[in-house]
Amino acid sequence: MSDMVPIMQVGDTLLVSLQGDLDDATVIGIEEHLTSEVARRGAAGTLIDVSGLTVVDSFIARVLARVVGMIRLLGSEAAIVGIQPAVAITLVELGVPMAGLNTALNAEQGMALLRRLRSDGSRRPD
Amino acid sequence: MAGMPDDGQDPGPRLRGLEALLDAAADYEIINLDADGNVASWNSGAQALLGYPAAEVIGKPVSLFYEASDRAAGLPEEDLGRAREAGRLEAEGWRVRKDGRRFWASVITAAIRADDGTVTGYARVTRDVSDRRQADLMFRGLLESAPDAMLIVAADGRIELVNRQAEELFGYSRDELAGQQVEMLVPPRFRQRHPGYRETFFAAARNRPMGAGLELSGLRRDGTEFPVEISLSPLETDQGIRAVAAIRDATERREQEQRLRHQRDEIMELSTPVIQVWDKVLALPLIGTLDSARAARLTEGLLEKIAEHQAEVIILDVSGVPTIDTQVAQHLLRTVQAATLMGAASIMSGVRPETAQAIVHLGIDLGRLRTRNTLRDALQLALLMVREREGAAGAAAAVAAGGTG
Repeated sequence: MSDMVPIMQVGDTLLVSLQGDLDDATVIGIEEHLTSEVARRGAAGTLIDVSGLTVVDSFIARVLARVVGMIRLLGSEAAIVGIQPAVAITLVELGVPMAGLNTALNAEQGMALLRRLRSDGSRRPD
Repeated sequence: MAGMPDDGQDPGPRLRGLEALLDAAADYEIINLDADGNVASWNSGAQALLGYPAAEVIGKPVSLFYEASDRAAGLPEEDLGRAREAGRLEAEGWRVRKDGRRFWASVITAAIRADDGTVTGYARVTRDVSDRRQADLMFRGLLESAPDAMLIVAADGRIELVNRQAEELFGYSRDELAGQQVEMLVPPRFRQRHPGYRETFFAAARNRPMGAGLELSGLRRDGTEFPVEISLSPLETDQGIRAVAAIRDATERREQEQRLRHQRDEIMELSTPVIQVWDKVLALPLIGTLDSARAARLTEGLLEKIAEHQAEVIILDVSGVPTIDTQVAQHLLRTVQAATLMGAASIMSGVRPETAQAIVHLGIDLGRLRTRNTLRDALQLALLMVREREGAAGAAAAVAAGGTG
């Protein structure tokens, strides 16, 4: 599974890039693999890059939203980056509940977003 | 030797009966000519038609009844010659009455032969067909004066009549078209199906446009195709029903339609402009009523621009939108949601008081959408947001650099 979806680490952030056609089993595999990796490596943030996906069905969208929730529970922040215009329209039309999901245009802005989220999070308890 | 016995002998009851019969045919000039073409017998129909009593014309040449110009051209002799050779001749032409008035005549001339085959005279039957000729001329005049190309086609697909406009439209002369299958004017890729359509028309002939809703094409002599509009109507004739096809070159109309479509697209484009007002900031000034088609186009155009400019903040200025009802609000919300999914934040500006009232009264939830009163304020907020993000990115880059270095 890790061969199919490589997880890169940049500083304390994990970067997963999803490509091509994803079937349900693969998506579930990514879900499990990614959450265990975040816990194992103690990553502060995770970026899921979907710019390589031209089609995202409601199942994939739901799983992505789920993964983000799981990662947050693990004490890390997660964002989805690179959603294509057509995919964004489809997701809105499908009514997939992705509100509250952190998104960014690309990996670079995603990094900045994670950074912002972490500083907000650390400031809040004060 | 000639047609009528003149020796005073009683011709017998049979011949008397025949004479009575000839005289009874009052509408027909039925005369005999001798071998040289002089009048040998004269019936009452001949007198009625041409105005001469028998005494004035017996022994006179038949050319007396032709027009002077035809006489000069040798037409009387030519007609007799052709009747002699073929045995029978049907012809039409002008004839002149005693009073000088002329009429259009249908003439049948038959040669009378002796047992040895020599021609001893002619029988000639003449009828006044001026009325028919007049009707014929009117019909052809009508056909020629029609603004459209006209074809008259028989049930088996043969072209029977064409007008000048059809000659010009298709590039064939009428002689080349007459008698040919009408399918020669149909582009090859439709040709096979055409006879079936033709049969359908003749099975229940009525006025109708051909191929309603389809884009029809015609085939010119030089092989080029062109768009046509065709209307069909049935024409009842003695020989059965004919199809009258009025064909119009639709090139100009199709081009006009295309231009219109193009213009509509352009207006649509103009009505949903996306402007880059600052680095990473896009503005979308909305003007006019938002319907589903416009809203869909707007969303699509905006998201593409976000990807293109890597925009982080978009400003939706609704000061030009007359009313915001539930539907328009839904459209706006979807646009904002899709932009958010791509990672761009949205600011709405220019909400009028009445619009604000309507939105609240309708219970429309605009969610986390930030709003500002004017476009100016919205731009200020946008710049602030971009700077914040840049600051965070700078810090993140510093941390990343520090972490690896």
